[in-house]
Amino acid sequence: MPDKVSVAMGQGSSCWGCFQSLVDIHMNLADVLPQLDIKFWAAVADFKHEHLEEYPDGSIDIGLYEGMARTEEDVHLLKVMRDKCKTLISFGSCSTFGGIPGMANFSDIEECYDVKFRNNKTVKGGEVPTENLPPITDVVKPNKDYVDFDIYLPGCPPTSDLILKALTALLKGEDIELPPHTVCHYCDREKEDTPIPEVLRPYQGKADPDRCLLEQGYICLGSATWGLCEGQCVNKGAPCRGCFGPPPPIHDDQGAAGISMLGSYAPIEPEEILEQVKDPLGTFWRFSYPTSHLGSMRIKREEANDQ
Amino acid sequence: MTDERTIRIDPVTRLEGHGSLTIKLGPNNEVKDVQFNVSSTRFFEKFLEGRPMEEAVRIAPRICGICPIPHHLASVKTVEDAWDVTPPPAAIKLRRLLIEAKQLSSHAIHFYALAAPDFVFGPFADPAVRNVAAVLKHLPGVATQAIKLMEFGQELCKTVGAKAIHPTTAIPGGMMSPITEEQRDHWLSKTDEMFENIQKTVDLAKTVVNDYLDVITKVAVTPTYYLGLANDGELDIYDGLIRVMDPEGEIVEEFEPRNYDEYYGEHVSDHSYATHIYYKAAGYPEGIWRANSLARCNVADKMATPMAQEALEEMRELVGRPSHHTFAYHYARVIEMVQAAEWIKKLLEDPEIVSEDVKLADVEANAGEGVGVVEAPRGTLLHNYVCNDEGIIEKANLIVATNNNIAGIEKSLMDAAKLIFEDEGHKGLELPDPMVET
Repeated sequence: MPDKVSVAMGQGSSCWGCFQSLVDIHMNLADVLPQLDIKFWAAVADFKHEHLEEYPDGSIDIGLYEGMARTEEDVHLLKVMRDKCKTLISFGSCSTFGGIPGMANFSDIEECYDVKFRNNKTVKGGEVPTENLPPITDVVKPNKDYVDFDIYLPGCPPTSDLILKALTALLKGEDIELPPHTVCHYCDREKEDTPIPEVLRPYQGKADPDRCLLEQGYICLGSATWGLCEGQCVNKGAPCRGCFGPPPPIHDDQGAAGISMLGSYAPIEPEEILEQVKDPLGTFWRFSYPTSHLGSMRIKREEANDQ
Repeated sequence: MTDERTIRIDPVTRLEGHGSLTIKLGPNNEVKDVQFNVSSTRFFEKFLEGRPMEEAVRIAPRICGICPIPHHLASVKTVEDAWDVTPPPAAIKLRRLLIEAKQLSSHAIHFYALAAPDFVFGPFADPAVRNVAAVLKHLPGVATQAIKLMEFGQELCKTVGAKAIHPTTAIPGGMMSPITEEQRDHWLSKTDEMFENIQKTVDLAKTVVNDYLDVITKVAVTPTYYLGLANDGELDIYDGLIRVMDPEGEIVEEFEPRNYDEYYGEHVSDHSYATHIYYKAAGYPEGIWRANSLARCNVADKMATPMAQEALEEMRELVGRPSHHTFAYHYARVIEMVQAAEWIKKLLEDPEIVSEDVKLADVEANAGEGVGVVEAPRGTLLHNYVCNDEGIIEKANLIVATNNNIAGIEKSLMDAAKLIFEDEGHKGLELPDPMVET
């Protein structure tokens, strides 16, 4: 029997959905778990931060980091994971692009604090907590700006099939081969290349289940999104919102690609399309704002303020 | 005589969020302070502002990867409340199927992966073995029933919600697509095996409860208020009125979710990014309440299904109503799994579950305010949005399940810390031999 593969699972600020998706490989856990020597995984084993810090550098075979880095503790953990792990995997879209919580960069941090602690319907006059807590970063920077990753496994979350495929390859010491197609490749709906007369919101009307959602006027980011999801939402009637990020090379601008696709399908006057598309930023850059061109300008502004 | 010292446990393990623990001790191990430091936050309430209401339904699930379905459904109910929309009955049944399936898998992962390692290997086992991977190695039969239950719940969620984690099919006015007869038949054919695994879980829970009765009845027995949904007095995780029970066991409030701000207080702690929610009329900290499984079992008069009701009666004989026993949360979780299993079967046997009439076509956005409540596995989950006439969110207030428990967790940790450091009461506890010696 071969030696076990040592692993560390780190969590930045996130929902734990990527790890839940790992757990959802179901009975395959019975094959995979016994091959792992778990060195750190806060939600599963009782090792503390000091245990992780005490391992020699480069002594852990595989590290998975879920979530974006919202606090100084997250940044520290990310760097420690990089030091300790031979292969570091960016696990999920938050880690890879900033993800949904990257939308906090639409506002300044003080505005975020206002709503969370100082003035909201059930909160009045609180102060930002500080005791025994790691400070919050002013802006969400992409994890790749802090450390280098060896592998990116995006998705919100990555599917269980994708995780199993990746883990199986890693445990055998093989490369992970991922198909490059967009979501459209996996979508069962027919495209007729007809123009969009009007942009619709997903609750409006009833979509034809057999036709391309975008052609029916429903904004769908399938054409700008990596199809590692295999089209699970679009085939159940829900338009794509881009949760796997752009197809390889994965740090292209997904939002710009999505808008450009809408533009080429919708021969609508600019003023009118602006009126019809209610929230361009939160629609096209929902998962990848921190790694986009627009988002990097936002981060640079913050850095200029700090100097 | 010892000096003052501080004990830090960082991170708190076997929970899916972010937290550490600070215990401050004075001379003679007097417990001065116990802090549960929730060490991150992501500002969902802020970045929901400016988003279209129907998109919140797809954004909010990302608050929690274990309970994305309750967020998806609380969010869609909020929008429907604001826009005065009532979805078709079949859509509501699909949503209930979704949330019951999630309840089943979430409680299974909690009981087996987060909690069971302590009971299987004993609280003093080495961290390298006190985990679910070791359960798999030493008790493969137990691990298999756990995985099968998680699989049933998660895969059923996927059938209804497109994705088990961060579902996408609920939409103001209904569901994006129905389920087919073939899918229904597939899941019906799996229910017998699921019930067998539920029965094994109940049996295991009873063994654990009896083995650890001394711990359950002596450690962290913490009187608080309790919060939970009840539908005509029955425990319900999708719909109902919000109840508050006082520490003596009186139901002191029962109200429409819309009026929550008359009853909910939100305290900003100086040592946690998660706020502490409490019963406003009693003030803070007197009004600290707890939610989650045991709270729901306390506030409800009875369960909604027969097998679960039988299990609840058995639990009440053992620990009473209200039960303040923090360790009884595990027991209550198993009772709720039984109810979820019974609901799933009932829904799958309902011919309307495969109806294709699941989405309204004439929903319109308008200015308004909505409140949506469901029970997440960790407790009462509330969303509240205000939107403009185009249906764009202007304000969002989220009272997520766990925030109802943060202050209660601190309170019960304080009780446990006093027992251990001041009275050394843990030394006299009757502990069984570990099920597995390591």
